[in-house]
Amino acid sequence: MSTAAGVPLRAVGDFFGFVAQTARALVRPPFQAREFVDQAWFIARVSLVPTLLMAVPFTVLVTFTLNILLHEIGAADLSGAGAAFGAVTQVGPIVTVLIVSGAGATAICADMGARTIREEIDAMRVLGISPIQRLVVPRVLASTLVALMLNGLVCTIGILGSYVFSVYLQDVNPGAFIDGLTLLTGFSELMISELKAAMFGMIAGLVACFLGLNVSGGPKSVGAAVNQTVVFAFMALFVVNVVITALGIKITAV
Amino acid sequence: MAASRETEAAVFAARFPKTARRGKRVSGAIDTIGDHAIFYFKALVYGPRAVMHARRETVRLIAEVGMGTGALAIIGGTVVIMGFLTMFAGGTIAVQGFSSLGNIGIEALTGFFSAFINVRIAGPVIAGVGLAATIGAGCTAELGAMRVSEEIDALETMAVPSLPYLVSTRVIAGMIVILPLYSLAIMASFFGGRFVTVHIYGQSPGLYDHYFTTFLRPVDLIWSFGQVLVMAIVVMLIHSYYGYYASGGPVGVGVAVGKATRASLVAVVTVTLIISLAVYGSSPSLDLTG
Repeated sequence: MSTAAGVPLRAVGDFFGFVAQTARALVRPPFQAREFVDQAWFIARVSLVPTLLMAVPFTVLVTFTLNILLHEIGAADLSGAGAAFGAVTQVGPIVTVLIVSGAGATAICADMGARTIREEIDAMRVLGISPIQRLVVPRVLASTLVALMLNGLVCTIGILGSYVFSVYLQDVNPGAFIDGLTLLTGFSELMISELKAAMFGMIAGLVACFLGLNVSGGPKSVGAAVNQTVVFAFMALFVVNVVITALGIKITAV
Repeated sequence: MAASRETEAAVFAARFPKTARRGKRVSGAIDTIGDHAIFYFKALVYGPRAVMHARRETVRLIAEVGMGTGALAIIGGTVVIMGFLTMFAGGTIAVQGFSSLGNIGIEALTGFFSAFINVRIAGPVIAGVGLAATIGAGCTAELGAMRVSEEIDALETMAVPSLPYLVSTRVIAGMIVILPLYSLAIMASFFGGRFVTVHIYGQSPGLYDHYFTTFLRPVDLIWSFGQVLVMAIVVMLIHSYYGYYASGGPVGVGVAVGKATRASLVAVVTVTLIISLAVYGSSPSLDLTG
């Protein structure tokens, strides 16, 4: 096979092999609970502020645009429905993704890449310790859990932000706003949104660990690996988003 | 005089360590803002100088920024990645729009929904995100690696002013590359929306195209290009700053890339919001009667 096509294909195969190894290590006992808690706390800490800073303008932007639309068709009172729908089905998961892969996964990748360069990973292997069980599993789980929780936070902030914006700046009736919230968005939409966020967190964690473990070379390669983490995580997440959105709509429609 | 004030400060710090530490942290945060501002100002002011004196470097960077480096170039570079992201975003909007408009029996308007949301929100935001992830992060990684392997110091030693040569050229390259890149990206998002609606949900293409072209306003498109252009400048500035001042070896470079990505994600959304509010705020300028 020509190298131009072979290199990326081999990387994809390696990645799936890595995912399989991680899945196996996940069910094998000693579980690194301490590392898991540390990592979850770390990812939550680096993600929290950017999440707040990004969620507020993003939801205001979406509400603003949707309200223009609703106002035009004479349905400004439905803006609550639009806000809840936008925040829970799309904005929540997407902001969560961007932050978890932009903040959490990059930090994981930088950390793992630095360990690889300093040959700590090789040292672990020599000592007979599986880096996947010791390092990767807790990180992937932590990133999944944090994404799940951040999604709830983003949805809450999103609805609050759109309430303030719609009611105080765009003169929507507050009662109508609250009344509309549950019109299109129910329990099943929330669950799909949480499922999306969890999947996104898991993928971002897996991609970050995989690329971090495969770094070779100097400082530039760690930077490049982090760069690739962001790009690949985003690409994977957008594809998964379309698929889960379509599936979710089918499931809730039944 | 100055000495006595220093001792006073030392005494104060010894007596009220917590307050002194807090004060130091606040003043440090203010210093950081100033550092950013000075860096951005210089990088912009040196722009013309960079174009005149480092023309070849600028052209090289334009090529590199457009195609990407390393493993990213193998899968087709920035062009393909941005197109990919916006295409799937357009697809998601069509899926979501088709089902929610279908709930109230007007799924015929999916074309309108796609033209409206893609141009006003999804296109600029996703393009900005793609920009930060590909070009921006690459820029931080490159500059950071130069910093920690002391190449930037070497440049200064050879009396090449590093800021215009490294940073201003990158900002200009980003500005130039973004226009064709965004043209492709927004086309991809339109294509994604149309493909899902027509070929997957089976709406008639004529119906989709009718509502799509009726409500696609050229002025909105021009503003959306403006948004992306501003974003390109902001993203390149933020990412160059974190790369230019990276420290702490290989880990430091990775950490800098992460920090820069986080900062520019926030900046991208904020820029979109501010420009949207400024442009569409007073007059929504949407005429549904067509």
